[in-house]
Amino acid sequence: MKSKKRIIGVLPVGDVPELAPKVIAAHIVGYLKLAAEILTPLELPAAALDEIHRQYNAATILSGFNSIPFDHYDKVIGVFNVDLFIPTFAYVFGEARQGGKHALVSLFRLTGGNEGRHPPSAILWERAAKVALHELGHLYNLLHCVEKNCLMHYSGGLADLDDIPFYFCRYCNTYFKDALGRP
Amino acid sequence: MDDKMTIMIVDDEKIVRESLFHWFTKLGHTVEKASSGFEALERLEKNPFDLLFVDIKMPEMNGIELLEKVKTEYPETIVVIITAYGSIESAVKAMQLGASDYLLKPFKPDFLSLVMEKITQQIKLSTEYNYLKGRLEKITRFDNIIGQGPAMEKIFDLIPEVAQSDSSILLTGETGTGKELVAKAIHAKSPRSHFPFIPINCGAIPDSLLESELFGHQKGAFTGATHSRKGFLEVVSGGTLFLDEIGEISAKMQIDLLRVLEDKKISRIGNCQSVAVDFRLISATRRDLEQALAAGNFREDFFYRINVITIHIPPLRDRKEDIPLLIEHFLEKYSHETTKRVDHVSRDTIERLTAYEWPGNVRELENAIERAVVLSKSRTLDSQDFAFLQRTPAMFSNPMSLRDMEKHYIQRILEECGWNVTRAAKILDINRVTLHKKIKRFEMQKNIA
Repeated sequence: MKSKKRIIGVLPVGDVPELAPKVIAAHIVGYLKLAAEILTPLELPAAALDEIHRQYNAATILSGFNSIPFDHYDKVIGVFNVDLFIPTFAYVFGEARQGGKHALVSLFRLTGGNEGRHPPSAILWERAAKVALHELGHLYNLLHCVEKNCLMHYSGGLADLDDIPFYFCRYCNTYFKDALGRP
Repeated sequence: MDDKMTIMIVDDEKIVRESLFHWFTKLGHTVEKASSGFEALERLEKNPFDLLFVDIKMPEMNGIELLEKVKTEYPETIVVIITAYGSIESAVKAMQLGASDYLLKPFKPDFLSLVMEKITQQIKLSTEYNYLKGRLEKITRFDNIIGQGPAMEKIFDLIPEVAQSDSSILLTGETGTGKELVAKAIHAKSPRSHFPFIPINCGAIPDSLLESELFGHQKGAFTGATHSRKGFLEVVSGGTLFLDEIGEISAKMQIDLLRVLEDKKISRIGNCQSVAVDFRLISATRRDLEQALAAGNFREDFFYRINVITIHIPPLRDRKEDIPLLIEHFLEKYSHETTKRVDHVSRDTIERLTAYEWPGNVRELENAIERAVVLSKSRTLDSQDFAFLQRTPAMFSNPMSLRDMEKHYIQRILEECGWNVTRAAKILDINRVTLHKKIKRFEMQKNIA
């Protein structure tokens, strides 16, 4: 059976550097051979702001995305430049529900590390693309992988994230193909 | 190893339950949620859980109370306490009650990841420990006695039972079956285990020397007795004396030992003064003592003294199901001792070794494996490495009729039982009358030699 055309929507939310969604879309096309489109930016959802911590609740944002019809898109990745958290966790680089439709990527904490200085932009884009591909993996039902050289391996810190190459291990790759209905 | 766990999130706040639920789902774990301590206990009653994340502050039953109940009723379930209101007191209390960790909300994602790594390791170690413990208990429950067939199971069951009493035990069985190992196991399981276990091979020591060894001697008691010396009956005090090849001791020694067993007193050679002794006697023989008794070569009173409990250890050919296990055990032992990496035995070699009759029993098998490991040039032992083993049953090399084979086999069993027809019939699992008929039909005779 011929698989239907899958398009991934990359949605900038709030004040996001213009290059960020472009880089993410390019990596989706390049590494996953999926079509990607950059959507019209949205405003930051005020309801998701936690006034005390000055962070945005990723779980609330994901719930909010459910009410937006992104019918044309198989999956949608929201790109943020604010600090995201989920309840009980201090922060997250990205968030997605297993097998869900929407994922979030935050650039906020990706600029850290590098001995207190802002990292070169190439590193920042690389990190953002890795988080996006990882979260997209979750949207296609991939679990965290034990293989340390796999994009689905969990990275809790920037050092871990930088160590991971742009590569899905054999197992995750097979799983991805299966999820995308590819031979 | 599959690291996936069954996890329950116990928190009265839905948002926390959902958040952790999604987090652990992404790791591939099976996750359930409970909004109260009572609900958690209900779920635990229905299904086992590897790990519980429990919030401290919950109405009705707080997390500490739940932890206490879980650790009492399901001690293997790991509990991690989570709280937004941490205090040293609650942390100490949680750890004292058996919590594996205590996390303050909100936690950094990588911190939770580390906790999960630690817990996975903990579960892995505990699973491995339980597996190995169970395996060791099952297979080598008593020192080095290896076996899992019904014959050895019976002995394994008997050992702890007889170990508790002080009655004399007679171990019977062919040479190399592991009689001394059974004796050691009985001693180890007995209340005397903190005292010595002294084995003496009566068959290897001349009678005069055996007397001195057992009873000790006074200085000058005989030529060469330059010092006074305690005998093993004194040295063993409180422990177990193992007399192997008891069937070989002289009639005089039987009387002397009988007196010791009755009076619990001994006198050193050359000294009239008696000394109280306290020991448990375990004897062993490969001979048919009943036959020796009938022939008048063994004292009846002594026989019944040493034979309060009899344990027969079957020859290896009667418990062939244990042979692969023994091969594995000895292979591991000798490849470790010789530091040679020999860790496999080919399938057909195992079959050949299992088919072999092993007249020297476990000892012969052990020696064969040791020799093969020492001489082997590869990691896998094959038939060539055991070429030195004799093919005992002649029928393999010289094909014979079923009638001849039956005759040959019955003759062998009769000889092994010293022509005790009752015992032979039992081994052959036929009626005594049938056996008598077969002896007559095959014109079998007792081999005088």
